[in-house]
Amino acid sequence: MAKITLSNIGHSYNKDKDQSTWALKPLDMVWESGKTYALLGPSGCGKTTILNTISGLVTPHQGRLLFDDQDVTDVPTAQRNIAQVFQFPTIYRSMSVFENLSFPLVCRGWKPEKIKARVHEIAEILEITDKLGRSAVKLGADEKQLISLGRGLVRDDVSALLMDEPLTVIDPQSKFELRKKIKAINKINNLTVIYVTHDQYEAMTFADELLVMSFGEVIQRGTPEQLFEKPNSKYVGNFIGSPAMNFLPVEAKSSEIYFGSTKLKTSSAHTAVTGKAIEVGIRPEYVSLVTGTGENVIEAELLGHDDLGSVRVLKCVSGGFPISVKIQRNEGLPAGKNLFLKLPSEKSWLYQDGHLA
Amino acid sequence: MYKVLKATFITIWSLFVLFPIMWAITTSFKPESAVVNGATFIPFLEYQPSLIGWKAILPGPDSLTNLLTPTLNSFIVTAGATAVSLIFGSLAAYGLSRFTYGWKNYSNADIIFFFVSQRIMPPVVLAIPFFLLLKELKLLDTHLGLILVLTSGLMPIVVWLMVDFFNALPREIDEMAMLEGCNPIQAFFRTILPLSKPGLTVAGMFCVIFGWNDIFFALTLTATKVLTLPVAVIALNGTVTPYWILAASTVFSIIPLVGLAFVIERFLSRGNLGGAVR
Repeated sequence: MAKITLSNIGHSYNKDKDQSTWALKPLDMVWESGKTYALLGPSGCGKTTILNTISGLVTPHQGRLLFDDQDVTDVPTAQRNIAQVFQFPTIYRSMSVFENLSFPLVCRGWKPEKIKARVHEIAEILEITDKLGRSAVKLGADEKQLISLGRGLVRDDVSALLMDEPLTVIDPQSKFELRKKIKAINKINNLTVIYVTHDQYEAMTFADELLVMSFGEVIQRGTPEQLFEKPNSKYVGNFIGSPAMNFLPVEAKSSEIYFGSTKLKTSSAHTAVTGKAIEVGIRPEYVSLVTGTGENVIEAELLGHDDLGSVRVLKCVSGGFPISVKIQRNEGLPAGKNLFLKLPSEKSWLYQDGHLA
Repeated sequence: MYKVLKATFITIWSLFVLFPIMWAITTSFKPESAVVNGATFIPFLEYQPSLIGWKAILPGPDSLTNLLTPTLNSFIVTAGATAVSLIFGSLAAYGLSRFTYGWKNYSNADIIFFFVSQRIMPPVVLAIPFFLLLKELKLLDTHLGLILVLTSGLMPIVVWLMVDFFNALPREIDEMAMLEGCNPIQAFFRTILPLSKPGLTVAGMFCVIFGWNDIFFALTLTATKVLTLPVAVIALNGTVTPYWILAASTVFSIIPLVGLAFVIERFLSRGNLGGAVR
């Protein structure tokens, strides 16, 4: 376990001078020991680059990397004691399951009896004891991924466990099982875990803190609740939550906010915004159906709905702008096409130029 | 219909290809009378098989020449050159596959081309330089000298084949090994090498074939002390040697390669690639 500090770390794969094209723009970051973090973002946003920088597979273009205040920027991968699980299950084909799991310990020169005991202990947790004698090649993708994970867990000197979209190639059925096991393991070992994913549900179920990334930058860092309740930008609002956050263009007139002709109250300071490109953001979960006009109520037309099991998402349009409303199934569908939507002021935030005002 | 055509074609083609070998094999078991008095085909009926040709090339009272010593020389030279080429060639190929080297405008691809270019050059160009080089090093007519010269021709094949082979092996394997505590050399020997058997087999097979068949360098750079099998067989041809002895010597000289082909064929069909990742 270690605290990981990124100090002004930036990386460009083609050694470009122009920082705006870098795969990872210079950033400062501290990851506390024993916590689980999720890096979230679309493909190519620099998530894997961060992981590979920490594990040493990539030497950063600039900046220093510290484990517990010790500079490890120039320390070779082998001596960093990082366990990493790649997107695709990586196993040593020529070895059996047991040999795969014992490989890191053999590299460390452990005694055979000690290795055997440790491997069996981990195999027990992963529930693969009966497969130890088998050839690793013959296993399914989910079991192979378990072995990749197991090889990280057998070691007793791991500073951090890095997981790079480990569930991408796993079929949904096994995904649930594997996710459960990973969570259980994290609890037992109390490791510093950095989990890369583009699946927000995965991120939210695993992590103490989420980091949303875009184009080599960390856009927002916070607990799942913070990111859901108060995204700091339209990007995060759209990325986290399903369906995405609603954004309605509004006008600021003498420190009052108008959507069309409706005056809206929000939780943001209204004096903070001036000029144009102002929007009100509200989660579809917090928009409610009301029977008539009132404070913070807008009129909307119902276009259709998506059935998502226990909830429904109503697709509406108001003043020409789309707005989604998430309602419980037992609430029933509204009778007519014309709806009154209440946007609670405590859940509405103002955004200017895409950022929280 | 297509299958019948295919079978017919393959049968005719193999007869065509195998005919000279069949001719050599039958002739090697014929006595003098069966060869010089017109064509004979059916053993025991038209001629009595005899070992006269084989006795002439193996040590014994009827020996004309002893091919066992040249065979041993060929074994030593081929095995030596193949081993050196495989060891250094695969290490070089691994480096060229996994790390980037460069100086000014030259990169990995240029280094690989440098290796392959050794084979583009006709060997005859190298005969005089190699002769002078080995003379200076006092390695003329020695096993080591011939091994070194053959290695210069065989290693490019290994590098060329193995770079492609290693490129096809997922990088994640060695990255994972390094994460788990190996340095690059350990990663290569512990995780990549066990997966490389099919590639090394193919490369080794090429080395053995080219090494075993080499006549040019063996002829120019060795003389009496290190006489290799092809040179000895050709030498038989140079004097007035009966056909049955020539046939026996050629059959004798291809036996090791034919044996190797059978062994390797089984091995190659076993080694399937990929699948380490995903």
